[in-house]
Amino acid sequence: MTTLKNIFGGNLQQYTMVLALVLLAVTFNVISGGRMLTPSNLQNLISGNAYVLILAIGMVMVIVVGHIDLSVGSVAGFVGMVTAITTTQYGWPWWVGLLAGLLTGVVIGAWHGFWLAKIGIPGFITTLAGMMIFRGLVIWVSRSISVPVPSEFSVLGAGYLPEWGPAFTGMNNSTLLLGLLAAAWFVWTEIGRRRDATDLPVWITAVRIVLVLAVIGYLTFLFGTGRPGTSFPVPGLILVGLVIVYHVLTQRTPFGRHIYAVGGNKAAAALSGVNTGRVYFLVMLNMSFLAAVAGILFVGRATAAGPSDGTMWELDAIAAVFIGGAAVSGGIGTVTGSMIGGLVMAVLNNGLMLMGVGQDQTQVIKGLVLLAAVAFDVLNKQQGRPSLLGHLMRSAGRDAGPAPAATAPAATASAAATDAAVTSVPVSAGPVDAADTLPPRSS
Amino acid sequence: MKTRVTALLSTLLAASLALSGCGGGREATTTTETTAGTTASAEGFASDATIGVALPWLGTQNWKEAEVMFTEQLTEAGYQPLVQAADNKVPQQQQQIEAMIEQGAKAIVVGAVDGTQLGSVLETAKGAGVTIIAYDRLIENTDAVDGVVQFGSLRTGQLQGQSLLDGLAERKGDGPYTIELFGGGPADANAPNFFTGAMEVLQPKIDDGTLVVVSGQTEFTQVATPDWDNAKAQARMDSLLSGFYSGTPIDGVLSPNDGIGRAILTSAKQAGQELPVVTGLDAENESIVSIAAGEQYSTVAKPTQDLVAKTIELIDAAQQGEELPAPDETVDNGATEVGIYQLDPIVVTLDNAREVFADDPDRLQYLS
Repeated sequence: MTTLKNIFGGNLQQYTMVLALVLLAVTFNVISGGRMLTPSNLQNLISGNAYVLILAIGMVMVIVVGHIDLSVGSVAGFVGMVTAITTTQYGWPWWVGLLAGLLTGVVIGAWHGFWLAKIGIPGFITTLAGMMIFRGLVIWVSRSISVPVPSEFSVLGAGYLPEWGPAFTGMNNSTLLLGLLAAAWFVWTEIGRRRDATDLPVWITAVRIVLVLAVIGYLTFLFGTGRPGTSFPVPGLILVGLVIVYHVLTQRTPFGRHIYAVGGNKAAAALSGVNTGRVYFLVMLNMSFLAAVAGILFVGRATAAGPSDGTMWELDAIAAVFIGGAAVSGGIGTVTGSMIGGLVMAVLNNGLMLMGVGQDQTQVIKGLVLLAAVAFDVLNKQQGRPSLLGHLMRSAGRDAGPAPAATAPAATASAAATDAAVTSVPVSAGPVDAADTLPPRSS
Repeated sequence: MKTRVTALLSTLLAASLALSGCGGGREATTTTETTAGTTASAEGFASDATIGVALPWLGTQNWKEAEVMFTEQLTEAGYQPLVQAADNKVPQQQQQIEAMIEQGAKAIVVGAVDGTQLGSVLETAKGAGVTIIAYDRLIENTDAVDGVVQFGSLRTGQLQGQSLLDGLAERKGDGPYTIELFGGGPADANAPNFFTGAMEVLQPKIDDGTLVVVSGQTEFTQVATPDWDNAKAQARMDSLLSGFYSGTPIDGVLSPNDGIGRAILTSAKQAGQELPVVTGLDAENESIVSIAAGEQYSTVAKPTQDLVAKTIELIDAAQQGEELPAPDETVDNGATEVGIYQLDPIVVTLDNAREVFADDPDRLQYLS
């Protein structure tokens, strides 16, 4: 069991969802007769869900600080409409409209941040008001009529990377390059890990590298060998860029630690010198900025901004975050986890569509999955009771030595954040294992 | 940190922009692919091919009927039907259409949630050689549409307007009459057309004083009902009645469909008004009951059966590899001239309901 944990990075719990995702995709692929894991279907899956995943990046940060943002759908819809109106009706160049849209998002975020951080109105109320205000404004400024956007936007929302270079590769070379970059980056970090933890057997690193390279290779192959002219989609690239930036921001920077500290225990964080108001303000600002990005990508794909764009998107984003392992009480949750949560929902939705299951039944199934995923998480973390995975590990790995000091991966770091912030110890210092040494939550 | 994040972001953006400037690679083959797409209809497809039907939702009776009829009649014709409804959500519908392409659909019938927001998805379908038929609602701003099957929406509006005038003359004695106007959901391209058609008939009567719109709300944007939501229509009617009709009776209301019509009648009843003459659309069961009871004055039937039959006729033509039959008219959808296959709707009142539904036992039973 310890061996398995070493291979998977010492945190099996986070990988339960990854495993569920893979199983889901493979199962649907079999049931639908191989229609799930095809280049075009994966391309659709990414372009069609990039907007929800981008919203989930911001939403997980809002949820970690202990609030919620109900306005993201309306904000995304409003920004999309602003972009469409400035470019199509005022005739501004597309990139000016794009910047205007992003700026609108930042201003809206500052508005929400002001009411939350300075006036002290809970995020739920602030953004409920925002939800109404910006939905009203979309309908107002659009006069309830859809407005088309310039074709440049469809590159952002549904476009593909260019074909270039030699044709003998038989695939889209942009995608191939991306795959190679991802593979190189992974190998490089693995070698870096070995330098930190020298007692790790060589073969474990080797197995990890082989496994991950196989996955990267397979995905590169799938995305790269679609119809000529298609590739890993542009919205997917934007999403990956944002995920990397925000993963680093939340896990490796003081600001990231402040987010977890404030969410875990606001009073303790404030006493240890964290400016909580600033954290709240920036998190809300950032959420609306990402909502703006999502809104613009969506209108790009739809080729027009409509008065009802964004309806209920907040709930899709919130569902992704909770399936991804965030806690309602704040302090716990990661960007990567939320991405996996969002992808589970997306694959489920897509797979059921490929099977021809109706929207009614799909809704029921998605609701049950949300409940099951969160219940699994809650049971796992319940106070004073050994977790499901803890049980498994104890019985299977009784003779195994103590877990090696692998760097605490993403999801577990959050659990330690509360204590870490108070004692000013860097988050990644302790070897924390979510599965069996999670401290009982005192709430 | 901020600067590092911005630097990273701008590098990514710059890189993607730089990449999009390059050429080469597998591009040579793309041209054959697209030409194959456009000529695909000329070659036809297998007689047991998969046919996708993407409907906006199942919240009104006509869409539910369309779902059932498409499933049955496509199966009868030997095709494999794939009928899905999108719960009125644009992203959902986009993904459903993409899933249909994945499942190898040779023709896709699209009842759009929002006819302007399917551009890139339908272009993908076109690229895959799929025949696209817009069902009941126009698809705008894309050339990836082969034809539109619908009941003339201007004509529908004209019939509604005329029926309102007839009803007022029949039930409310001599004019002038007080009326209010309601429009449909603004995201539906048909809704403004219904209203325009109705106003072609009503505007002259408003100008000569026969009709008085007491609230003065005569613009489509003022009278529109977001999402065709009956509750929103009822709320608007409530405030109109309390704001403008506390002392005066209201004689008639132009309603764009049956659900909204019944909401208007409910509102009028609750306000203690004598029932106004109310029009409708779709011949929903409940409205037939209401017409039989002498409450709702009229509805406009757009028999789903006719629409489905016409659509399948077009699919058959595409299957054989024939040119689609000549359309009744063409309309500029913002990107191209689209052929419209127009069907004529029927006004239903208490007087003619029995003959109109003679072949429709489902509806006939509500008249007894």
